[in-house]
Amino acid sequence: MECMMCEILYLEKEDQAYQHQFILHAALDVVQDLAWTTNAMSLKSVDRFNELVVSVYVTAGHTRFMLLHDTRTEDGIKSFFQEVHELYIKIFLNPLYLPGSRITSSHFDTKVRALARKYL
Amino acid sequence: MANYLAQFQTIKSSCDRVVIAVEDVSDLWLNVRQSFEQRLPVKKACLNNKARNPVFVENLPAEFIQTTDSRLRSRFPQEQYLFWFREPYATVVLVTCEDLDEFKTILKPRLKLIVQNDEREWFIVFVSKAHPGNDQATKMAKKVYARLETDFNTKRRERCCKFDLHGTDADFWDDFDSKMVDCIRNTLDRRVQFYEEENRKLSEQRFTPIWNFCNFFILKESLAFMFEVTNLHEDSLREYDELELCYSESVNLPGKHREFGGLDTGDDQAALLNPGFKALTQIIQDDVFREFEFRQYIFACQAKLLFKLSRPVEVAARGYAFVVGFSKTLALHENALPFCFREVWVITACLGLIKSTSAQYDNGIVAIDSEKEFHRLQGDLYSLCRVKFMRLAYLIGYGVEIEKSPVNSASLSMLSWPKPATWPSIPPDSSAEIMTKEKITLQAKPREKLFNIQRKPLPLEPSFLLREANRRRAFLSVGNMSELYDSVDGSGLDAHSKLPSNKSSSNLMIRTMSGPATSETSLPVDRPMRLSEIHVAAEHALKQTISDPDFMTSLSSPEEFENRYMELTKGAADNYHRSWWKRHGVVLDGEIAAIFFKHGNYDLAAKSYEKVCALYSAEGWEELLADVLPDLAECQKILNDEAGYLASCVKLLSLESSLFSSKERQAFQSEVVRLAHSEMKHPVPLDVSSLITFAGNPAPPLELCDGDPGTLSVAVWSGFPDDIALESLSLRLSASSSADEGLKAIKSSDARVLVPGRNIITFAIPPQKPGSYVLGALTGQIGKLSFRSHGFSQDGPVDTDEFMSFEKPTRPVLKVRKPRALVDITPAVSSALLMNELQWIGLIVKPIDYSLKGGILHIDAGAELKIEESQMIEIESYRSNGEQSGPTDASKALSSSSEPGRVEKVPIENGKIKLPDWASDVTTLVWFPVRAIDDTIARGTSPASPLKHSIVDGMRMIALKLEFGAFHNQVFERTIAVHFTNPFHVSTRVVDKCNDGTLLLQVILHSEVKATLHVKDVSLDLQAGFEHLGNGDGRPTSSLFPLVIAPSSRAGILFVIRLSGTKDLDELENSDSMMTIKYGISGDRTTGAHSPVPVKPDDSEELLFKISLKLKRPVLDPCLAVGFLPFSTDCLRVGQLVNMKWRVERLKDLDEASLPDDEILYQVDANPQNWMVAGRKCGHISFSKAQGSRIEIAVTCVPLVSGYVHPPQLGLPDVGEANVSCNPAGPHLVCVLPPTLSTSYCIPA
Repeated sequence: MECMMCEILYLEKEDQAYQHQFILHAALDVVQDLAWTTNAMSLKSVDRFNELVVSVYVTAGHTRFMLLHDTRTEDGIKSFFQEVHELYIKIFLNPLYLPGSRITSSHFDTKVRALARKYL
Repeated sequence: MANYLAQFQTIKSSCDRVVIAVEDVSDLWLNVRQSFEQRLPVKKACLNNKARNPVFVENLPAEFIQTTDSRLRSRFPQEQYLFWFREPYATVVLVTCEDLDEFKTILKPRLKLIVQNDEREWFIVFVSKAHPGNDQATKMAKKVYARLETDFNTKRRERCCKFDLHGTDADFWDDFDSKMVDCIRNTLDRRVQFYEEENRKLSEQRFTPIWNFCNFFILKESLAFMFEVTNLHEDSLREYDELELCYSESVNLPGKHREFGGLDTGDDQAALLNPGFKALTQIIQDDVFREFEFRQYIFACQAKLLFKLSRPVEVAARGYAFVVGFSKTLALHENALPFCFREVWVITACLGLIKSTSAQYDNGIVAIDSEKEFHRLQGDLYSLCRVKFMRLAYLIGYGVEIEKSPVNSASLSMLSWPKPATWPSIPPDSSAEIMTKEKITLQAKPREKLFNIQRKPLPLEPSFLLREANRRRAFLSVGNMSELYDSVDGSGLDAHSKLPSNKSSSNLMIRTMSGPATSETSLPVDRPMRLSEIHVAAEHALKQTISDPDFMTSLSSPEEFENRYMELTKGAADNYHRSWWKRHGVVLDGEIAAIFFKHGNYDLAAKSYEKVCALYSAEGWEELLADVLPDLAECQKILNDEAGYLASCVKLLSLESSLFSSKERQAFQSEVVRLAHSEMKHPVPLDVSSLITFAGNPAPPLELCDGDPGTLSVAVWSGFPDDIALESLSLRLSASSSADEGLKAIKSSDARVLVPGRNIITFAIPPQKPGSYVLGALTGQIGKLSFRSHGFSQDGPVDTDEFMSFEKPTRPVLKVRKPRALVDITPAVSSALLMNELQWIGLIVKPIDYSLKGGILHIDAGAELKIEESQMIEIESYRSNGEQSGPTDASKALSSSSEPGRVEKVPIENGKIKLPDWASDVTTLVWFPVRAIDDTIARGTSPASPLKHSIVDGMRMIALKLEFGAFHNQVFERTIAVHFTNPFHVSTRVVDKCNDGTLLLQVILHSEVKATLHVKDVSLDLQAGFEHLGNGDGRPTSSLFPLVIAPSSRAGILFVIRLSGTKDLDELENSDSMMTIKYGISGDRTTGAHSPVPVKPDDSEELLFKISLKLKRPVLDPCLAVGFLPFSTDCLRVGQLVNMKWRVERLKDLDEASLPDDEILYQVDANPQNWMVAGRKCGHISFSKAQGSRIEIAVTCVPLVSGYVHPPQLGLPDVGEANVSCNPAGPHLVCVLPPTLSTSYCIPA
C-alpha cells in the first residue's frame, strides 16, 4: 500500500486539511478498481467531490500519485504527474531511500512545487 | 395533435397486448374459441427488432378479438394510423365448408373480399366439422380444404391450415402458432417501418417553428410502447433513451420561457419509478412537457423496462446519475421551488431507488463484478441521501447532533446552502419553539475530547448559516449584513454569541430573559434573524415542503433524526463494505461509532473505531488517524480496556509530533505512565516500534572473540515528549544468518530514563555464538507495560513509518569470531633436565592478538613431579629469534626492547600463577622450579647386561590451564611433557684381563644432558666377589679430577680390580657394585639441564650421583664340565621314551672344601607340560674327587608335545655357576615329532 500525496499548498485552506485528506483517501477505493482496468498510468480524474476533482497517476509499481484540485487542464496535470514520476524514480534510485517511507528530501519538495507552479 | 395526448394515454393504458382479429366467416368462433385462447400467450415467437435482427421473445401476450367487436369497429381511419400499435397484428379467418360448389360460389368470393385488404396480415383456418367416423364427410372436407389451399396459398407463403374440430392433432397447433407469429412479425415490421418513417419526417422538421415535441413524443412513445407490448424491451428502452435525449436538447433550447413544474403537492416525493404518477395531460403546457415531471416520467419508463429486463443494477446506475444530474437542474430552478425542495426530492428519490432496486435485485445469480457495482451504487445512493438529510437536519437546528468528522465536514461544507428566493421567515406564534431551539443550542456543548485535545471543529456549513439566511431575506440589503457579520469567524453554532453586542454576559441575558418571546416575532422585519429563529423558520418551511408524513417525523425530533441518520449511514456503510470499497465503508463505520459513542454504547463504538483506526494506520494517513484515535482511546478508557487504551495512547504518541501540541503529547505520556503503573492485572505487551526506535552506532561493528562478553552501545530514540522512566530495557540480537530471534534478551544496566530524542544505552553482552549479529528487537517495561520495538532508525527518529518495522537493518552491530587459538603455551626447552634435582622449567606463553590481562595459570604437576612452591616463579619477556629480526613488527620490537629482559618474580600458590599486567600482551617466558622424583637407582650397563633404556622413564607430565579474558571466560588447556634424565649414563667393560687375575675395569661416563659436567670425584664400591687392587679406597687409578665432560660426550675411568673368593656365590649374584660420582654442572636453563635451584642459600654446588653397576664374575677356572650326550634315536616322537644323558667331568681339584664329600647334587629341570620325567629328578650321585673322573647321569623322559621345545636341563645347585663349564653346551631346543598314526583307527579301503 503505497500512496503519495502531493499536497500542493495553495490548494489547501488550513481547516480543510482533514477534508482533503479524507477525500483523497476515499478516492483510493475508486483507484483500486480502476487501476486494473487500464494500461495507462495516468488515470485522469477518478473521483469528483463537489467541485473538487481527484486526479490519479499510478506507476508500474502501484505507487499512486493523487492530486486534489479544482478544475484544471488535464494536459497540465498529466505533464505534472509525468515529471513528478520522474522525480520519484530519482528518489527511488537513491540506495538510502526505503521504498514506501516518507520522502524527506527538500530538493524533491522544491522541485514538485516548481512543477506545480509550471503546470497547474 | 397534442389533443390526442389524452386519447393516447387512455389507449396506452387499455391496450397492453397484441391483438389478433378473428374474422368469423362461418360462425365458428364460439366453437373454437376456448381451444384457441388456450394457446395464449404465445409461448415462443421470433420477431424482428428495429435493426431487423431476429429476436426470440417468450410469452408474448396476445388477445383474440372478433372483427365484429366494438373495440375494433369504431375507429376512424385517421386514428388508426396514429395509434396503429393497437390495431390487430394478425387476422384469423375461420371458415368451414362441406361442399365444393358452395365453396366455389359463396365462400371463395367472400374470402377474396376479406383478404384483398393488403394491409392486413391474415391466414385461414379451415375448420373441419366432419366426424372422424364419417368417411364421406371427411373426404369432402379434405377436398374442400385442398381447393382452399390451391386458391389461397401462394408459392411464397402458405396461409391455410386445417383444424379438426373432432380430434385435433398436435401438428395443427404448431402450424397455427407459426402462422400467427409470421403474421405478427410481418405486421410489426411494417408498423415499425411506418413509425420510423414518421419519426424521420418529424425529426427533419425539428428546427422549424412548426415542430412540436408533443407529436414527436406520441410517435416515439407509440413505437416504444409497441416494442414493449411485443416484449422487445431492449428496443423500447432505446426509444425512450432517444426520446430523453431529444427532450433534453429541446428543453435546453434558448427561447421561450417554460414552466419547470414541481409546484404541486406531493411533487417533493420523487416519482422516479412511477410512470403513472401524473397524467401526461397534466404536465403539458404549450405543446411542451414540464421538465420536472416529464424527465421523471421518462426515467420511470426506462426503469420499468430495465426491471423487466432484470437489470436492477442498471436502474441503480442510471438512477444515481439521474438523481445527481436532476439535482443540478433543480438547483437552477431552486428559487421558484419550495424551500429545500431539492434536498427533499433527492432524499426521496434515493430512498425510492434503493427500495425498488434492492427489491428487484436477486444477488444469487449475478457475477461478482456486477454485485460489487450494485452495492457500490446502493452505497452511493445511501450516502447521497445521508448528506442531504444531514443538510436538512442542520437547517432545522440538529447540527449539534451531527459529528464534526472529516467525512461530514467534507460533504456538508462543500455543499451550498439552499437558495430560495427568500429565506423563510419566522412564522407567527413560534416563540415557544424558538425558545426550545435556543435551549437545545445552548445546552449542547461541544464534546470535550480526552486529553484536552483542542481542535477547531470542522465546519459543517459552506458559509455561516446566519449570514446566508439573513442575506436571502428580501428586506435586508446584502451590504448591511456583511457589515454586521464580518467579524464573525466561528462556526454557525456559536456565531450568535458574537453578535454585535459584544459582551457575552449581557448577551446571554437578552437571549434568555427578554428573548424572542416578545419583541422579535412582532417585529421580524427590521432585525436580522437569530440562529434559533432561522432554525424554526426553516422547520416550518420544511413542513410546507415535505408532503410525506413519515419523512417529516424523521425530522421532528433529534431522536427521530438520529434513527433515520443511523439507518442511512448503516445502509451506506454496509453496501460499501459489500462492494469492497472498504475505505468508504470504514469511514462511515466511524460515523456509526460516533453515534454509538454518544449513546453510551461504547462497546460497539470501540469496535467500529478500531476498524477505522486500523485502516488509517495501515495506510499511513496519520492526520485522519489523529482525528479518530482520541475517540477510540476514550471508548477504551470508559470500557476499562486498559490494554487497548494503553495501546491507543502509545499510538497517539507515536504519531507525527506535529499533529498534536506538546501539551497534548505530554498528556498522552502521563496517561501512559499512569496506566502502566496502575494495578493492571496482567502485563500488557505492546509494540512501540514507531515510538521508540533504535540503531547501532555508525562505527564498525563490535568484534568479539568466541566466548567473550562485551559491551554494545545502542542509540535509542524516544518519541516521548518528556523523560520517561523505564523499569527495564533489554535488547535482542538476532543472528544475521538466521531469521529467528532465539537469543536471550540482554538487559541494560544503564540508568533507565529515556530523555526525548537520542539516548545512548550500553548493553553488556554475554558470550555469544560465533557469527554476526544485527539488532533484533528492543524490549522493555514501563510499569506493567512491556513494550517491544522493532523500529530501526537509520539516522534519526524521523522515519516512523510503519513500513520501517518490516525492514531489518542489514548492518551487523556485533561480530563474534569463530573460535581460534588465543594463546599458545609451549615448553621453552626441549632437552632433558636433571632428575631428582630442582630444575627450572620454562614455558613460553604467547598471546595471539588477545590480551591475557588478569590471566591465571594453573600448573598441575603430574606424578613423580613436584613443584617447589617455596620458590618464586620468574616471568620474563621473551623474544624469539624470528621476532627480533622481523622488521615488520617494529613497534613491538621497540616496546619489548624498551624493557629488555624484564624479569618479575611472582609467587605461586596452589599451583596458580597470576600473570602480571605487563605480560598481558607480550610473549613471556615463565620459569618455575620442579623436581622430578625417581626413587630407583640408576643402573649402569655392561656388554653382559646391555642398556634397557626407555625414554618414557624420564618423562613427566605437567597439566597447564590458563584462564584469561575479561571474566576468565577463556580457558586454554595443555599438557606438556618434560624430559628428565640422570646426568650420566654409565657403562662398564673389562678392558684387559691380566695373568695375575687382575682386571682392568673401564667405566665410561656418557653425558646425558646439554650441559658441561664437571666430575669431581668418583668412587666405586665394589660388590662381593670383587675387590680393589691396592689401597682399595675405591678411587680410580688415575687422578684426573676434576674431569670435564662436554655435552653429549663421554669419558672413561679405569679401575683395577680383581676377583675375590668364590664362596659367597649366592650373595654375589644379588649384590651390585655402587659407584658414586660427585660432580658439578654448568648449564643454561634455556638450553636444558642446569645447576639446580638452590633451595637454601648455603647449598653447595656439588652434586652427587649414584649408580649401581653389576659386575659379573668371569668364568675363569671351571672345575666341572657338563656335556650333553646325543640322543640315542634320530628323532624324538611324542609318547616315545627317550634317554637323556649328561656327562659330568671333574676338571681339577677344588682345593677348598667347597664340596663336603664326594657326592654331588644334581637336578633336572624340565617343563612338566612338555616333558614327563621318569625317574628321579634330583639326587646325589657319588663323584670321585680325582681330577678327570667322570660320571654319566641319565634320565628317561617322554615328550608330551610336538614341536621345538626346550629339553630338560641338568643343574648342579651345589656348584656355583662360575665353576661349571658347559662344554659342549646342551641343545637349546629339540625337535619333537608328532606321534605315529594309530592303525586301529584306520578303516580298510
